[in-house]
Amino acid sequence: MAVIEFKKVNKHFGTGSARVHVLKDIDFSANAGEFVLILGPSGSGKSTFLTIAGNILSPTNGQVFINGKDISTYSTKERESLRLTDLGFVLQSHNLVPYLTVKEQFELADKVKKSGNLTPDNLTGLLEQLEISELIKKYPEQLSGGQSQRVAIARALYTDPQIVLADEPTAALDSKRVKVVGEILHHLAKSQNKAVIAVTHDLRLVEQADKIYELNDGKLTLKN
Amino acid sequence: MYLALKEIKHEKLRYSLIISMIVLISYLIFILTSLALGLAQQNTSAIESWNFKQIILNKDSDIALRQSLLSEKQVEALKIDNNKEALIGQASIVAKSSGKENISANFIGVKKEQFLYRELKLSSGKLPTTSHEVVVDSSFADKGYKIGDKIYFNSLKTPYKITGFVKNAKLSVAPVVYGLLSAWPELKSVTPNFVASALITKNNNYSVPSSELGSYSKQTLIDNLPGYSAQNKTFTFMIAFLMVISLIVIAVFLYIITIQKLPNFAVLRVQGISNKFLIKNTINQSLILVISGLAIGALLAMITAIAIPNSVPMSFNIPLLGLVSLGLIITSVLGSLIPVQTILHIDPVKAIS
Ligand SMILES: Nc1ncnc2c1ncn2[C@@H]1O[C@H](COP(=O)(O)OP(=O)(O)OP(=O)(O)O)[C@@H](O)[C@H]1O
Ligand SMILES: [Mg+2]
Repeated sequence: MAVIEFKKVNKHFGTGSARVHVLKDIDFSANAGEFVLILGPSGSGKSTFLTIAGNILSPTNGQVFINGKDISTYSTKERESLRLTDLGFVLQSHNLVPYLTVKEQFELADKVKKSGNLTPDNLTGLLEQLEISELIKKYPEQLSGGQSQRVAIARALYTDPQIVLADEPTAALDSKRVKVVGEILHHLAKSQNKAVIAVTHDLRLVEQADKIYELNDGKLTLKN
Repeated sequence: MYLALKEIKHEKLRYSLIISMIVLISYLIFILTSLALGLAQQNTSAIESWNFKQIILNKDSDIALRQSLLSEKQVEALKIDNNKEALIGQASIVAKSSGKENISANFIGVKKEQFLYRELKLSSGKLPTTSHEVVVDSSFADKGYKIGDKIYFNSLKTPYKITGFVKNAKLSVAPVVYGLLSAWPELKSVTPNFVASALITKNNNYSVPSSELGSYSKQTLIDNLPGYSAQNKTFTFMIAFLMVISLIVIAVFLYIITIQKLPNFAVLRVQGISNKFLIKNTINQSLILVISGLAIGALLAMITAIAIPNSVPMSFNIPLLGLVSLGLIITSVLGSLIPVQTILHIDPVKAIS
């Protein structure tokens, strides 16, 4: 069953002559247990797509369903709690709170979402897999780009979301680490039956993906 | 609270600078308030120590004790119950003693059988019993006067003897010398048909028998002390302006701090962290900053009060300073409410580039 579904979604920005049509009649769906990759060049609308999927922006028209429910009818509070419990974001940059150590980033998640987070053992396992166990006492400013990206991935997975949305999750990583992240996202989809959606222009992730879409000039097409 | 504390811990320099700014502002306000209060008390402490409700003055006195005279005939017409009413005679005097500084003072003559005499609270010595004995304000002791000393008033040749000291006896910023009313006519240089300056009464609605006399409340008497109201207004305005300006300064600082955090808050909003959580943290952070600033400021003011010489009147009124602190806390919460508006309008989209 599709956990997330787009039906004829359009998104415009601006008004008048400055009006741009960023997403055009997008139909899309992702199932639990699937790792979906959306490829597209810079400026093609990848982040916009993800923001709409993540319930942060509303589409200009069209509908988005999460678990079969039309989220356009949700209140701010319902959107907040949907993001907190069902969605996990890996953002393109500035993912981490600058004055919290890596360990405290997870503590903060515990403060706002009191239950259903990873157990300490599962977290340790995840950190080891991402090779960031040694970094837990460090502040984001002390991490390299790739390290903070891996921490951000761990942070997004910590709340055990049903849908993981990742914006360029491999932007700052070398080939070896790209493979690790690809495997983690793939494994996550398979072993825990999550829907994992990543937007990227990084072709190195193609191997692990179940479904590959291409986003070009606002149009989404299925590749495989 | 979690984010607030963690951030202060990580950004020690920035937050200690803000706290020290609040410390300085609150220190200034505390000191100024205490000085204003100290000065006010130098005007009124003697009057405040008299336990009375109404004062009967000559109507021509313009509600000034030192301008009022009561004639023998006027006093005879007054109903006087020694437990409730007391005659007082005020005279401005210069006190001298060989080898010591001259002191400008207020002589207050009282009658032995009336309540005011009995209710005088001495810090040492005993009450005067003859017309040439006096008790004086403790500031005389600071200038070297002792119990048993001979003291001369104005250019009179007969000495008076100090039999005791009274604490906080100040009237119009001059120390008070309490003696017997029988010594008063000579010190005031009035003809014998005048017998007192005023009558004080514990009765709230004492009926005045003569249209030449007027009855006034304690507060009216105090408000009409020369210079007192003007002085208080000046200080009140100074402190009020200071409070308003500090509100603006503190609010601006808190605003800037929050503005710097907005990109970060946007990320947290994306992660589903509620506005409420972020706003609570912002307000808590303001409270932590302001309350710790106030506490240190109060401590500094206390140390100053101990270190400052006695001649500088400074009075710490805990309820008043508490009120001032509460004012600062409220103003700073208001200050932090401006950025709260901004938090409510954070666009989580901003977090996604
Ligand atoms: N708030 C906005 N107002 C106007 N135009 C916008 C807005 N947000 C995005 N756009 C435009 O929409 C288009 C798609 O932007 P988007 O950020 O989705 O691209 P992207 O595929 O994520 O690019 P990149 O790979 O560089 O991150 C761009 O042309 C951008 O200028
Ligand atoms: Mg993007």
